[in-house]
Amino acid sequence: MGLFQKWGINVPHHVVISDPGQLDTLAAANPWMKNAKMVAKAHEALGGRFKLGLVKMNLDLAGVKAAAKEILSREVDGMKITQVIVAEMVEHTEEYYLCVKSTREGAEILMAKFGGIEVESNWDKVQRNFVEVGEKSAPGQCTELAKRCGFTGDLAQKMAACAHSLFDMFDNEDGQYIEINPAVVDKKTGNVVALDAVTMLDGDARFRHKDWNFNWAAEFGRAYTEAEKEIMEIDSKVKGSVKLIEIPGGEVALLPAGGGASVFYSDAVVNLGGTIANYSEYSGDPPGWAVQALTERVAALPGIKHIIVGGAIANFTDVKVTFQGIIAGFRHARDKGLLKGVKIWVRRGGPNEAIGLAAMRELKSEGFNIEVFDRYTPLTDIVDMALGKKKV
Amino acid sequence: MAIVANENTRVVILGGQAAVNAARRMGEFCHLCRLPFYVEAFVYPPDAGKTYDIPVGSQIVAVPIYGTLSEATAAHGSINTALVYIGPARAAAAAMEAMDNPNIKSISMITEGVPEKDAKLMIKKAKKTGKLLNGPSAIGIMSAGKARLGVVGGEYNNLILSKLYRQGSFGVITKSGGLSNEIMWIISQFADGITTAIGIGGDAYPVTDFVDYLELFEKDPDTKAVVIVGEMGGNLEEGAAAWYAAKPRRIKLIGVVGGFCQEKLPKGMKFGHAGAKEGAHGEGSARSKANALLKAGAIVPETFGALGPAIKKVYDDLKAVGQTTKAEDLAPSELPQLPRKVEEGLKSGMIAVEPLFKNTITDDRGEEPLYCGYAASELINEGYDIPHVVGLLWNKKLPTPLEAELIKRIIILSADHGPAVSGAFGTILAACAGIGLPQSVAAGMIMIGPRFGGAVTDAAVYMDYGLRNYPNDVPGFLAYMKKEVGPVPGIGHRVKSLKNPDKRVEEIIRFVRENNITSPRLDYALKVQAITTTKKDNLILNVDGTMGCVLLDMGYPVESLNGFFMLARTIGMIGHWIDQKRNQGRLIRMYNYLINWAVTPRRPVPKLPKK
Repeated sequence: MGLFQKWGINVPHHVVISDPGQLDTLAAANPWMKNAKMVAKAHEALGGRFKLGLVKMNLDLAGVKAAAKEILSREVDGMKITQVIVAEMVEHTEEYYLCVKSTREGAEILMAKFGGIEVESNWDKVQRNFVEVGEKSAPGQCTELAKRCGFTGDLAQKMAACAHSLFDMFDNEDGQYIEINPAVVDKKTGNVVALDAVTMLDGDARFRHKDWNFNWAAEFGRAYTEAEKEIMEIDSKVKGSVKLIEIPGGEVALLPAGGGASVFYSDAVVNLGGTIANYSEYSGDPPGWAVQALTERVAALPGIKHIIVGGAIANFTDVKVTFQGIIAGFRHARDKGLLKGVKIWVRRGGPNEAIGLAAMRELKSEGFNIEVFDRYTPLTDIVDMALGKKKV
Repeated sequence: MAIVANENTRVVILGGQAAVNAARRMGEFCHLCRLPFYVEAFVYPPDAGKTYDIPVGSQIVAVPIYGTLSEATAAHGSINTALVYIGPARAAAAAMEAMDNPNIKSISMITEGVPEKDAKLMIKKAKKTGKLLNGPSAIGIMSAGKARLGVVGGEYNNLILSKLYRQGSFGVITKSGGLSNEIMWIISQFADGITTAIGIGGDAYPVTDFVDYLELFEKDPDTKAVVIVGEMGGNLEEGAAAWYAAKPRRIKLIGVVGGFCQEKLPKGMKFGHAGAKEGAHGEGSARSKANALLKAGAIVPETFGALGPAIKKVYDDLKAVGQTTKAEDLAPSELPQLPRKVEEGLKSGMIAVEPLFKNTITDDRGEEPLYCGYAASELINEGYDIPHVVGLLWNKKLPTPLEAELIKRIIILSADHGPAVSGAFGTILAACAGIGLPQSVAAGMIMIGPRFGGAVTDAAVYMDYGLRNYPNDVPGFLAYMKKEVGPVPGIGHRVKSLKNPDKRVEEIIRFVRENNITSPRLDYALKVQAITTTKKDNLILNVDGTMGCVLLDMGYPVESLNGFFMLARTIGMIGHWIDQKRNQGRLIRMYNYLINWAVTPRRPVPKLPKK
């Protein structure tokens, strides 16, 4: 919400709390809290909050306290709710839609004279304006767009101004996709207010936005697990990358090298009716210890039967170094009592491939259930073998 | 032919260490293909004016480094290609500059994490300037046998195995850099190899994409078929399908589509690269891509594993109609090998070298040093002491307990002799001039010689000579010395005399006598002293002479004898340096009154004669 205010887009009055006890002090400092109807929502990166009962509406201050207390006692998918956002309910009659999205050539400003859930069923009536990258939205352009949507008079000017501000925010804050749905006119003030919004910014541009202080949310509607957070933490520190997303219930754990190969390994498992226990990859010649940490987390995935240590022929990732990390990870995992009944499948090529693969083969003599293949075995054949479609 | 990179490609690389690593890989490629090295310059302001030294075969090519791109292209008129190997915060600006440079026609950018807005601005610029920009996040471009831009192709052995030393019939375009090598390898096994392979990078907005390169491949008569490998999300495959369907195309198109698993995965999950997002259905889904490609007449293997056979079929069909060029495979033995490191050659018995010198004392090639075969840690744990290490390293055997005790005493007695003697004073003079410890101690060490502390060896040598040639005729020995050598080394002291004896000498002699150590050279030296002191009171046997005779009698080699004094006195010199540092000793300047000014008075300078 801070970014919207920074770019002059009205948002409802709101406060964020982590303890219902804070509400009295906040109410004293924020006069709007005394009389307004309010909404309390779990302030976490969660999809479907309404359905989960994590949104409570039409509350007075006493109601907010009770709602906040209840929401803060909740736990969803093992994640404790730690923050609640309390916002003023803005009285309004109509709902509108505003969005700026990235295209290859620049950005599109989308606007509609209807909002909320109505947008999806009327997608073809949403009006668009294109702005080339490196250009500014021309002064009259948004007004013309508003008029095309059916806005008239003062409201057309206000919607145009809001769209203009939203474009400026998108352009200056390295936006990928910013959507206000719904935008409403506050009956009390007559201002256009963004009631709800989705903001996707380009994480790669962090280096030029020193004021970005928000937490980045997972992109798939649930909070990150401890293991995922640990690997992300490592990923942010090292050369190259290590990645982990857990998928509960899968039997085939993936430990592939490279963002490209990881997709084809996942496809190969799913294609044969297998279930994957995670998405992972390491690439860009990461240090051995980072790959070791990833390996230990992958080895600890519950209920797995296979681990696919797959990879194409690397350009510059050192197979020896990364495999040393994986081997250390496997040894450590076994010392902790993991990997019982788990079969490990290896296929790889690249710098120092002979040494790396030989070291991996050595694990067999240490009692690991492991099969190791080199470049002469096609990329995804180890999946076929693991799932019994091909003989070893 | 090939596309983008060919035999006329001349490269400048923007960047530091990563740029050097890429250049090395390109040097390997030139060596394999017997090409001249085509990286002509680097641009890296911190190192401007220097060179990066790149091995090409067994040669080292010194490639100049410039502060700006325009300097580089001005100095090297044939440069036509730039590689961007710098960080995401500055990469786009560098690429913009490269596109503005009239000499640069193509750019490949490996930088990962370039903001999308920057990529879009580069797209706009590339369109405006008509330049080809590959990337961001692009592993590079490989034109088999002709040019390699970046590290694409990986290590040397892979270049040979994937037959990248000579051209085939297949083009390759992949988003993933890791898969580009895999596809080249598959093509080399199932068909005749590649013309050009391009990694376009996994970002959301690659500046050039499948269609840009398909256009170029279509115009390259040597390329008969092209394999494209995308990723999850995006709509590049749909674009390629539309291009392929738009009109009859000469090239065969094989499209590898990934991401079918996404239908079974949590929605919105991000795979690998930034370009790999978008919904599970509709445009951007694996199914939509595969359908679009199939409808356009492309070949789409059902799985990655089916790619090899699909390529083989295309190749066999091309061969049947005489479409493929006959590509000659070479056995690895016919290809240049990467020059081996000397160590590897020795290990495999391929080469022999004449050693520069012989070492007989310490071996540190294992996990810890061995002193004449004894591990240092074991010596410590067995309770051996510094004199034993001296014995091992100087005389190659462990001293007896008595010898060790004598060595210890000699070291203690000679460790220092106050600040006024030549050695310590040299060290102090240097310390007070602000010179560091090693150099200051060296300044003191320089003083050790015939008149100060350095007569141990010579004393032992001449006493030994006297004992052997004039055993019962000390006057004869002295006459010989006076005639042939000069003052007898080991005899005489600046301040000590018979009346003021040197306590150190007395201690050594007492120890030798009390322990019944036989030392015939010491005995002889004392006989010499008996005569010389009759001539002058201070012509006594000094500490150098005493040490030399005893140590030589104990079997220490003559070469080692001065070492005992040096070893001992090093302790003192280090002490004096530390002392001056702690005292914050001021710069020492000689007082005029301590100098005898035996100089010529001032006089006119004569005119310099003209030549």
